[in-house]
Amino acid sequence: MIRRLPLVALTSAALVLTACASGGDSSDTPAATSSTSNAGKTVTLWLAGGDTPDELRTYLADTFKAKTGATLKIEEQAWPDLVTKLTTSLPDAENTPDVVELGNTQSPTFTNVGAFLDVSDMYDELGGTKLLQSFVDAGSVDGKKYALPYYFGSRYMFQRKDVWKEAGVETPTTLDEFNAAVTKVAQSNPRHIKNFSGFFIGGQDWRNGISWIFANGGDLAKKENGQWVSTLSDPNSLKGLQQLQTIQKTASNAPADAKDQTPWLYVNDNDVITDADGKATGKTSLSAATIMAPGWAHWSIGDAAKKDGKVVREWNDKKFGTFVLPGNDGKPAPVFAGGSNIAISAKTKNPELSKELMKIIFSPEYQQKLGGAGLGPANSDYVSSLGTDEFAKALIDSASNSKLTPAAPGWAAVEASMVLEEFFGKIEGSNDLAALAKAYDAKITPMLNGK
Amino acid sequence: MTTGTTTAPTTATAGAAKRANRPRRNRLPLVLILPTLVLLLAALGYPIGWQVVTSFKQYGLMQQFGAPAPFVGLENYTALVTDPYLWTVVVRSVVFCVVTALVTVAIGGAMAVLMNALTTWPRVVLQVALLVAWAMPVVAAMTVWIWIVDWRRGLLNWALVRLGVDGAEGHNWLAEPLSFFVVASVIIVWMSVPFVALSIYAGLTQVSTEVLEAAALDGANGLQRLRHIILPLIAPVLSIVMLLQLIWDLRVFTQIKLLQDAGGVTNETNLLGTYVYQLGTGKGDFGTASAVSILILGLTIALSAYYVRSLMKEDV
Amino acid sequence: MHRSRARRTLLTALALVLAVVWAFPVYWMLNSAFLPNVVLQSATPTFLPFGGSFDNLRTVATEPSFGSALTISLVVTLTTVVAAIMVAFLGALAISRFRFRGRGSFVLALLLIQMLPAEGLFIAQYKMMSSLGLLNQAIGLAVLYTAAVVPFTIWMLRGFVAGIPADLEEAAMVDGLSRTRAFLKITFPLLAPGLVASAVYAFLQAWNEFTVALVVMTEEQSRTLPLWLRGFVQASASRETDWGQVMAASTLVAVPVIIFFLVVQGRMSSGLVGGAVKG
Repeated sequence: MIRRLPLVALTSAALVLTACASGGDSSDTPAATSSTSNAGKTVTLWLAGGDTPDELRTYLADTFKAKTGATLKIEEQAWPDLVTKLTTSLPDAENTPDVVELGNTQSPTFTNVGAFLDVSDMYDELGGTKLLQSFVDAGSVDGKKYALPYYFGSRYMFQRKDVWKEAGVETPTTLDEFNAAVTKVAQSNPRHIKNFSGFFIGGQDWRNGISWIFANGGDLAKKENGQWVSTLSDPNSLKGLQQLQTIQKTASNAPADAKDQTPWLYVNDNDVITDADGKATGKTSLSAATIMAPGWAHWSIGDAAKKDGKVVREWNDKKFGTFVLPGNDGKPAPVFAGGSNIAISAKTKNPELSKELMKIIFSPEYQQKLGGAGLGPANSDYVSSLGTDEFAKALIDSASNSKLTPAAPGWAAVEASMVLEEFFGKIEGSNDLAALAKAYDAKITPMLNGK
Repeated sequence: MTTGTTTAPTTATAGAAKRANRPRRNRLPLVLILPTLVLLLAALGYPIGWQVVTSFKQYGLMQQFGAPAPFVGLENYTALVTDPYLWTVVVRSVVFCVVTALVTVAIGGAMAVLMNALTTWPRVVLQVALLVAWAMPVVAAMTVWIWIVDWRRGLLNWALVRLGVDGAEGHNWLAEPLSFFVVASVIIVWMSVPFVALSIYAGLTQVSTEVLEAAALDGANGLQRLRHIILPLIAPVLSIVMLLQLIWDLRVFTQIKLLQDAGGVTNETNLLGTYVYQLGTGKGDFGTASAVSILILGLTIALSAYYVRSLMKEDV
Repeated sequence: MHRSRARRTLLTALALVLAVVWAFPVYWMLNSAFLPNVVLQSATPTFLPFGGSFDNLRTVATEPSFGSALTISLVVTLTTVVAAIMVAFLGALAISRFRFRGRGSFVLALLLIQMLPAEGLFIAQYKMMSSLGLLNQAIGLAVLYTAAVVPFTIWMLRGFVAGIPADLEEAAMVDGLSRTRAFLKITFPLLAPGLVASAVYAFLQAWNEFTVALVVMTEEQSRTLPLWLRGFVQASASRETDWGQVMAASTLVAVPVIIFFLVVQGRMSSGLVGGAVKG
């Protein structure tokens, strides 16, 4: 017995050493994430809405499993319910999702209440300053990074080229030209459509409306001496608001209470549907020559056609066109950037695995896949993966100068209180924009700094 | 109705009580309500307690994520009560609720009487129609209704224009608050009438036909029979249904929220339900939202005090 | 004879008009379920689904998540209905046929509970379910729903029980029946419509409830039908909402309720026919 012990001990030691060595080689991270120890673990990722296509989700799940041995579970949350679910689930260590996607406008609020894990140590590895800085700011507090950009979108103009041509108006190249052009198209109304709009913008549509504030050098709010104040009544903002008022009065026949939903309905010829016999039904419901919409709206714009039994919209270059809202300084006008951030829950039980997932998301392969799917990748190095079609170009151009809503801790409360909708809805009928703006500044400023 | 004296009668119902003779304190009713008590305490005790306590604290999103929640006493309440907007919402809600509830019960009651006077197959047709209307998921129902009043492609405008009302083309029914509330009221009446009608009808079937026949023989006409015999007999059902409509219509949320998403100016069309939602889920201010909920409770009690008292009194 | 026949015709006509008015949105939902989305977006309403197809319904019904959501909703809802009716029935009996100490407070408490808006409770309900490990469990949700429905159901049943004079039982007992048999033979059948109404109400409340289900059933595979339906209604970034499919989905969600009612109504009416109101 005793003679065998040293042999046994030596063999065991050798085995252990080999195991350690191979564990150390097969991954570039400490043994905590080695495949064998993670086999039973699951990491939960919450994606918002259907923006991330199935192909990318599969890629994430497969790559994650291959790299870490753990399983990735992706759960999709509907946008309107996201805040409710984040509010109840994130603080609950037993049931929190590990990684979540959330809107860039929601990021400041959740970041400021400590919902997320500090990822400053990974920041450079994930892309550092190449990441969209405005989105990074939305997810930072005191220089520490919590929520990083996931993808960006942007918004640009969709026009009915045929109607513009009939009205004899050229596509504008500056903001002033735009403001005048859409009014001209509306007045010309070449097809004599009732309540026709040269540019359809809903009265309460602030997400598109703020482009005019931004384009004139104004902003919604700014930080002064450590406190946020609402700046609707600043001179530059007012200049933009006045231009918007003129447009609402002369170029847009949108209802005063319309928001920014389904704008493509107004620019499509809805009823030119060829059914099985090729007959068209009903009269046209076109009512606008131009709309402003997020890039993904292009899927819903075009002529109705049947494909594989499903009805889709096919883009028709002769009828439809895109252009970026031009600024007056030769650059695209700053518009409101859409998009999401991504963050790790502060209460996650799998911080290391979650970080692995983040690495995969910010890897070149995945970033390029995002671009390929029409979602602007967070890392500017890969923006070219968006492609070169007119939509990609419009997206890249309009996003190049885009702005976010203020990164104030109370911004989500401002949006929830619908006070901006209220303000914008009153612009058209106002005789004293400066006073109206001042009144709403007084309402918004207290909300900005959070409770 | 003299079911004996003041001592509780012994009864063998779906229980195991024996036919004991005059126990001084009958345990049976307490046994009967025990399941209810246990259930309510278990499922509602904590949440309601939490809400009451939270209404006295400063509880926002930060507290949800672990920051301490300081007791602020009545601060949430005073802030609410001194906010003129809250009173605007309260007045709107009360008016809306009373009007809608009254219309609902009137129409529902009339329908129930109608159903009682019908022969079988028309009655079943009507009942099924009411039932499918009631069963329709709220989201689907709201989608249809929102489409009906849509300013561009809605059925209502289309029909009005065809009937010659030209001004109806492109008319936006949700833009003005008053019009918004009329639409909301119609929708909620439509959704609530089935329940009211079916409940009152169920109550009507309990009315013994013999009593009615006897009264008819005595010369009472339909309306008199309705007023003097039927109404008193279905009064319990009627008053409960009315009370419930008041309670529900005061708190209505989903329908208003979906209408607000479709059009209208949110802050001009807020009722108490959507206001609580805005404060809670929207702004994350759960302390104030809890306080509003308690206030709504108080308001409901005040509004229904008359009914509650009469209901308690008639409990012989 | 003339007058009553004319009267009957008039009433029947009125009933049919009302039925059409009330069922119109449902008819529209069905109509839309058969039509493709683009037709639905047009400015001219299409009233009859000619040229329509079962495509929408088929697409929705064969969605894998539909089946599981349907099952979960059925389990939760039926549990709620059965439990609520049983518990509430006992409670209604207690407060309407007996007098006991604390009855007044019990009744008042039931009423007050119903007056408290439920919208603010979901945070606490989540915490409670989470600490009990009952998240994503059908039974947890069923308990919450039952508790939510019972107070109202007791009130409603109480009204029906109170509407049946206890004399009827007394009379039957004089005829020699025991209390229990008198109750079962006389009173219970009269309660049948009330029980039906209560059961359908409880069914609908549980079937269509959204907010509590949203926070308590957090995982996709434990979603109830309303949550699942929500997924349909939300347009994604690269797709337009397919309203035809939404309506098809809504139709499928509404159908079980109808079936439930027909089943319950059928069984209850046989009780009614048992000659309850006799001497």
